Amino acid sequence: MGEAADDQAALEVHDLHKSFGDHEVIRGVSLAAHKGDVISILGASGSGKSTFLRCINLLETPTAGEVYIAGEKIRMHTRGGRYQPEDIHQVERLRAKLGMVFQSFNLWSHMTVIENVIEAPIHVLKVPKAEAIEQAEALLQKVGIYERKDYYPLQLSGGQQQRVAIARGLAMQPEVMLFDEPTSALDPELIGEVLKVMRDLAEEGRTMLVVTHEMGFARDVSNKVVFLHEGLVEEQGDPKEIFTNPNSDRFRQFLSRTNQ
Amino acid sequence: MEAIIEYQGQLLQGTWVTIQLALFSLLFSVFFGLLGAWAKLSKNIVAQKTAAGYTTIVRGVPDLVLILLVFFGGQQLANQLGQLTGLWDYVEISQFAAGVGTIGVVFGGYMTETFRGAILAIPRGQIEAGIACGMSRFLIFRRIIWPQMVRYALPGFSNNWLVQIKSTALVSVIGLQDVVYNGFVAGRSTRLLFTFMFAVLMIYLVLTALSDLGLRWLDKKYSKGMVRSEDG
Repeated sequence: MGEAADDQAALEVHDLHKSFGDHEVIRGVSLAAHKGDVISILGASGSGKSTFLRCINLLETPTAGEVYIAGEKIRMHTRGGRYQPEDIHQVERLRAKLGMVFQSFNLWSHMTVIENVIEAPIHVLKVPKAEAIEQAEALLQKVGIYERKDYYPLQLSGGQQQRVAIARGLAMQPEVMLFDEPTSALDPELIGEVLKVMRDLAEEGRTMLVVTHEMGFARDVSNKVVFLHEGLVEEQGDPKEIFTNPNSDRFRQFLSRTNQ
Repeated sequence: MEAIIEYQGQLLQGTWVTIQLALFSLLFSVFFGLLGAWAKLSKNIVAQKTAAGYTTIVRGVPDLVLILLVFFGGQQLANQLGQLTGLWDYVEISQFAAGVGTIGVVFGGYMTETFRGAILAIPRGQIEAGIACGMSRFLIFRRIIWPQMVRYALPGFSNNWLVQIKSTALVSVIGLQDVVYNGFVAGRSTRLLFTFMFAVLMIYLVLTALSDLGLRWLDKKYSKGMVRSEDG
């Protein structure tokens, strides 16, 4: 990626569909994230927002639609009546360009904090071990958990685990960070520390896609908000505009319910 | 006591055969166990059904019956096949191979269930985290599933292994000169059956105690990160 590629989207999704059996959860969603964008994806439970995020790195295989990561299209074809990736190695390579943070942290429980962070850089990106450790230590400093680098995940609080998970995602030096309800499993008093780290990342100019229920984050930190309703984009735009002046009744209702 | 010293050569030789039987059949049972667990957890219906049939049959039949069936029945079958096709003259199945094979296959059935349960005990999210980092299926197995599976499988595995060591005694029935066979022969010819069978018993106890040490070492090695600390 040179200078000329500046206007190219870091992530682009075209007309994505996903069905589970007869039930179509995502009914055609498109989205583009440019470098430095922080996009919050909102929606009631069952609106398909997590499924949408999981379709981007093919944790769920979409039933139709296209995904471009840093301009490269994930090649899909239909085999045996199923829409699926043409080349799993390409998918693996492109997945490595996305960092993902899960609701339930999903740290590898048999590895220490630092081992969690260096695992994929060493084995997927083939970074030399010494370099990976140096990089991981810097990231752990950044998310404020360096002192616990030799702890195991189960010895940490949820907020600490989630910050490690963020460091693990960042260690991939990703084009885009995907956050799937990163604070939903946390005790209220631990949410702040995770949100602060995410805020710092946004200020640094990280490209982020955040599925969240945190209205404050969506309004104050993101530069774009997408509201999903029953698998479709119901409303989207600049948070300053749509939060004060929503176009759709459903989004208005959603806001009034969550503001209480 | 002098009798035992006089026959120690046979006892030791028998013990060595027992150890070899146990270790080789362990290799087989772990192999079949992994294969079976993989098949049971795969999306492939044929693999699933085959593995289900395998564990049902093998766990529902006495080991002794299977050993006799494989050794005597298998030999007959092989020779009839040879005659029919004219491809070979006369074959003899070695007692050792029949023993290792049968015990390995039988305990593979138990290992299948142990490994399957252990894999299911690993939180799915940890595997998804590997997928999301761009890891290949093999890498996920090697780095995430295997180390944790061993940990979860160890209690069941230890149980299976102890029973498996003891099951090797069954091969004395087909004339393989393991520690039981040799001890029994020595006991009968000296008319000191109690002494010799007691010696055999002690030998088994030593073998299982040694295994216990090894298993404890494995448990320690694979328990990393599994203990919750106070400041959680």
